Amino acid sequence: VSAAAAPPASRAQRLVRHGILSWLATTDHKRIGIVYMSSTLVFFLIAGVLALVIRAQLAQANLHLVGPHAYNAIFTLHGTAMIFLFVAPFAFGLANYLLPLQIGAPEVAFPRLNAFSLWLFLFGGMSVLAGSITATGAAASGWTSYAPLSVLKVGFGAGQDLWIIGVLLVSSSSILTAVNLIATVFIYRAPGMTMWRIPIFTWEMVATSLLILMAFPMLTAVLMMLLVDRHLGGHFFDPTLGGSAILYQHLFWFFGHPEVYVLILPYFGVITEIIAVFSRKPVFGYTGLVLATFAIAGLSMGVWAHHMFTTGAVVDPFFSAVSFLIAVPTGVKFFNWIGTMWGGQLTFPTPMLYALGFLFNFLIGGVTGVMVASPPIDFQARDSYFLVAHFHYVIGGGSLFAIFAAIYFWFPKVFGFRLDERLGKWNFWLVFVGFNATFFPMHLLGVMGMVRRIYTYPNLPGWSELNAIASAGAVVQAIGVLVFIANIYISVLKRVPAGDNPWDAYSLEWATTSPPPELNFERVPPIRSERPAFDLNHPDVAAATAR
Amino acid sequence: MKPATVARAVTIAAGAALVTACSAQPLPLGATEQSRALHGMWVVFFWSGIGVAIVIYGLIAWCVLRYRRRSSDAAFPVQFRRNSRWEIVYTAIPLLMVVGLFLITFAAERHVEAIARQQDVVVDVTGFRWSWKFDYPQLGVSVTGTPHDPPTFELPIDETTRFNVTSVDVDHSFWVPAFLFKRDAIPGLQNVFDWTPNKLGDFRGECGEFCGLDHAAMTFGLRVVSRADFAHWIAAQHRVAIVGRGAAR
Repeated sequence: VSAAAAPPASRAQRLVRHGILSWLATTDHKRIGIVYMSSTLVFFLIAGVLALVIRAQLAQANLHLVGPHAYNAIFTLHGTAMIFLFVAPFAFGLANYLLPLQIGAPEVAFPRLNAFSLWLFLFGGMSVLAGSITATGAAASGWTSYAPLSVLKVGFGAGQDLWIIGVLLVSSSSILTAVNLIATVFIYRAPGMTMWRIPIFTWEMVATSLLILMAFPMLTAVLMMLLVDRHLGGHFFDPTLGGSAILYQHLFWFFGHPEVYVLILPYFGVITEIIAVFSRKPVFGYTGLVLATFAIAGLSMGVWAHHMFTTGAVVDPFFSAVSFLIAVPTGVKFFNWIGTMWGGQLTFPTPMLYALGFLFNFLIGGVTGVMVASPPIDFQARDSYFLVAHFHYVIGGGSLFAIFAAIYFWFPKVFGFRLDERLGKWNFWLVFVGFNATFFPMHLLGVMGMVRRIYTYPNLPGWSELNAIASAGAVVQAIGVLVFIANIYISVLKRVPAGDNPWDAYSLEWATTSPPPELNFERVPPIRSERPAFDLNHPDVAAATAR
Repeated sequence: MKPATVARAVTIAAGAALVTACSAQPLPLGATEQSRALHGMWVVFFWSGIGVAIVIYGLIAWCVLRYRRRSSDAAFPVQFRRNSRWEIVYTAIPLLMVVGLFLITFAAERHVEAIARQQDVVVDVTGFRWSWKFDYPQLGVSVTGTPHDPPTFELPIDETTRFNVTSVDVDHSFWVPAFLFKRDAIPGLQNVFDWTPNKLGDFRGECGEFCGLDHAAMTFGLRVVSRADFAHWIAAQHRVAIVGRGAAR
């Protein structure tokens, strides 16, 4: 339809197309993706400020900046926001934006369901945070919300209920998003886009979505059971009336361990794409990498009780063995990434720096992960700062670094202009140094016996020193994040045009304009390998190396 | 910043982290018979981890330094996509490693969790919000603390003590870091294990599972003493109990 033939748009139509309504009422996967990602970044900043309060409180022994109740609420909201409102949904936002583009589709399979997921998520997140303005304060039973503790009414009031309802909404939102993404990949691929040609990020989202479909209904169920115990006189978790306290841990971790892979698999995909592009080579061992992804996803369904080695209520050797096995496909991925760089021509713009930072940090998280998969080590490490260090190296050093990598990598595609490289490098090095200064000393604190979730600690030898280093590192990270915010602000002012494919990248989203048009492609280019945009730009290389 | 500078900085940072990790081996040896095996596990896993890190960081550093894009690089590098032989090798080696780690894990856990047929002392440990109660059922002694006044209990050295751990309200965990061991106190369940302390001294214990407001204050003391001192302490506890009962009356 040519512009001249179209009737002039009414005021209402213009509002729907360009004004605030265009964002509130949108079913466009790209706009939903942008709202998802930007709102998760707001939750990230909130969770980050809470982390700074934690590090201020723990900077020295016997400090009393905040009392125990406030501290418990702060680490509960910090963990909940980081896990449920930032790291997982950022991946859904990124997938919303990218997945249809990467497979050459004009939209996701169910656009209105997609909008519904977004609003469930936003209201869920706001419910969780709204707990902090209730009379008894926000939820304070940790992001794991263990029963029987979380069933207690004293000290766990309306804030706890808002937490349960909020996480229920977020969980339901994730299930609907998973349905949507799987349907989109399976039925909306462009001609020529066979399953063995979809980008690794899309593969990782397929595995992530399958995990969500298996694990998140359990979360929904266990939260409902908590509500029944709290308000309808249920006794699921009350052993004095025939319930079982350990049951909660089983149900929660049956969701909770696959959740760990929901938090990391998408970011394996991000890292894989970025490393390949900045090595100027295809992904090494594509098939093996996809199989490793599904091996990880499958095994992750059978390891939940490795969170329960010290309960004395599970068969430790079984869960230990399956947990160890996950190290094998994870190791395979490391070799895929190394193989991709091997013999390449590496450049180091900010996304690649963050990808290398991911490799550095995630290896530490992986090694300590194998350690805590061994029950005799877990007998000391469980619920100590060693464990805190371990999972921050995975979710912070891993996923968070990949999120920054993704933002720097895809920002030019989404908005049509680039982020500043010089500020990007400052951003990376501050966050990288700050991150390691914060979390490396925690390994030692844990081994020395510092238990997690305590609002203060006595002045035992070395504790104050190591905690002071950790707190100083947190300040450095915060400065790094401020540089990131400044970078976005300055780059938006400068608007240096990026072009359609500034990185000479591979997947289909780079073969359309930046930002892409309403239904993504004027014309979908021919798809003859897993690198359609590359083939388009370098037909000679493509012809010489066709698979 | 030039790529070369960045690459060098990454290498230096990685090297520094490795040196720190190698020089600091902060693990206490443990102060029970059982903790010898636990310490051994930490040593094996720590050094295996260092080995893995050296190999992987080495390979990454090699790629970053050797395969940097140079101004002379006009054409694309060789666009290889797979190498089945290497893929099998790098799947098989980690598999063999984790099988080995699992076997020693299994052996160590059996040793640590072995229950002696005859124990010398029995202690029933009960966690509650927010302190601990230690009962010696054979000796008729009981020690209870509060968050403001944590309890201290004593054990005789070189004798095997049986622990029965439970909770009366929410989940807690009975942890003595110097013994490298914790076991959860869960309402409705009773956990059983043995400790044979082999070092005299005062040890600090904590609650290892978040249990609400005063979780941080839920500590306790454990004093390992000679057999004679233990008998004195038990006798003193009896006197305290009798005086206490008198006062209560």
